[in-house]
Amino acid sequence: MIDFHTHLTAVQGDWPPDPELNRACEEVFGMGPFQPMKTFLAAMDEAGITQSVVLPIDCTTAHGCKVFSNEQIAAIVAEQPRLIGFASVDPNRPQAAGDLEHAVRDLGLRGLKLDPAVQDFDVTDRKLAYPVFAKAAELDIPVVIHAGLSWAPNGRSAKAHPLALEAVAHDLPELRFVIAHFGFPWVREAAMLALRFPQVYLDTAIIYSGSPSDSVGRVFRHEIGMDVIRRSLRNQIVFGSNTPRIRPKRMSQAMTALDLDPDLYRNITEVNAQRLLGTKEAS
Amino acid sequence: MISQVQRVSVDTPSDTAMLEITQTVQRAVRESAVTSGVVWVTTTHTTTGITVNEGLPDVEADLIAMLRRFAPTEDPSYLHARWLPSDGAMAINSATHQRAALLGPQVAFPIDEGEVVLGSRQCIYFVELDGPLRRTYLIHILGEADAASVGQGKDTQ
Repeated sequence: MIDFHTHLTAVQGDWPPDPELNRACEEVFGMGPFQPMKTFLAAMDEAGITQSVVLPIDCTTAHGCKVFSNEQIAAIVAEQPRLIGFASVDPNRPQAAGDLEHAVRDLGLRGLKLDPAVQDFDVTDRKLAYPVFAKAAELDIPVVIHAGLSWAPNGRSAKAHPLALEAVAHDLPELRFVIAHFGFPWVREAAMLALRFPQVYLDTAIIYSGSPSDSVGRVFRHEIGMDVIRRSLRNQIVFGSNTPRIRPKRMSQAMTALDLDPDLYRNITEVNAQRLLGTKEAS
Repeated sequence: MISQVQRVSVDTPSDTAMLEITQTVQRAVRESAVTSGVVWVTTTHTTTGITVNEGLPDVEADLIAMLRRFAPTEDPSYLHARWLPSDGAMAINSATHQRAALLGPQVAFPIDEGEVVLGSRQCIYFVELDGPLRRTYLIHILGEADAASVGQGKDTQ
């Protein structure tokens, strides 16, 4: 199982104490360091997760900090082969596309994370956002875009409405991106985009009330419908836990509780992520 | 009177685990120089327990099964299944809190002649109910010493 959506904001690893990073994790992301890297890996084991995508957030303009820098992520994944490092760049800065190229070509990071709710940018901004998207497409890397409810203390969910991504998907059809959190509460809009655009994916990190078995089950079964999931979205949903806002074992349990057919389960938990990461040919 | 508190850190291996800590407690008492008194073993968490039972794998498995039976992992009636702003995370572990309540957070044993007085079948357990996590429990030794040297409080991992 591949977890396509995790943050290291509750990890105090072996890296040197970094007060600025701690401030970013506590004040911008809303969590402090609690547990060692050993626990993060053990939690993956407990959930049956073999690899996890770790996502930073560069909010230099909005909040004057980075919730892990690209260099920090690169150093961490160099020590932890089970972790897949993504980059983040600040679209409000003119050098963002160049920063992304450096992160991928020089640091070896394998995707891009953007969070318009926390980074305070407009995904349809052709001067700021589009060059970053175009660079991601040129580099042939997937982008995870926060969508929907923002749990960050200063996050603005209105900035993260998935419908705004329709223009991006239309204008940049070569860009592969994941609408994180299934866009909750705008799950129908998010699903609509995935139905329309094959390069648009959705992740399962749907948390708002109750256990993930409750919330994911409600969206899959009742809001979208299992028939739609099976017929039309089976190649475009990836497992994402949103660790540490949820323990990965609980999101894994939610996948089991869905009682998916074995092929669909494997698609969501493994195959679709491999395709996005470029480690498996499209089926 | 000596009062010595030792903080013991443990990395629990899985969601639920019964970790026997009898020898750790015995060693702490022997190293404390207290010869007559009481030792308290206390967890610092609300989703772990401290308990005493017979050190057999089948007893341990039955105890865990009992906890799961009395407090099922999922139940739509649970209220503690929501966003918790102070944690910046979902709090959806009502079952593990209930299991911890069933076990209790603490046990105490007498210390006599520098040894913890345990029954022949009694083992002390730190019980993980929502792991894996790095956890801490306390060994509080309270009593009289007849040795010249007196142990100091310390942290152990």
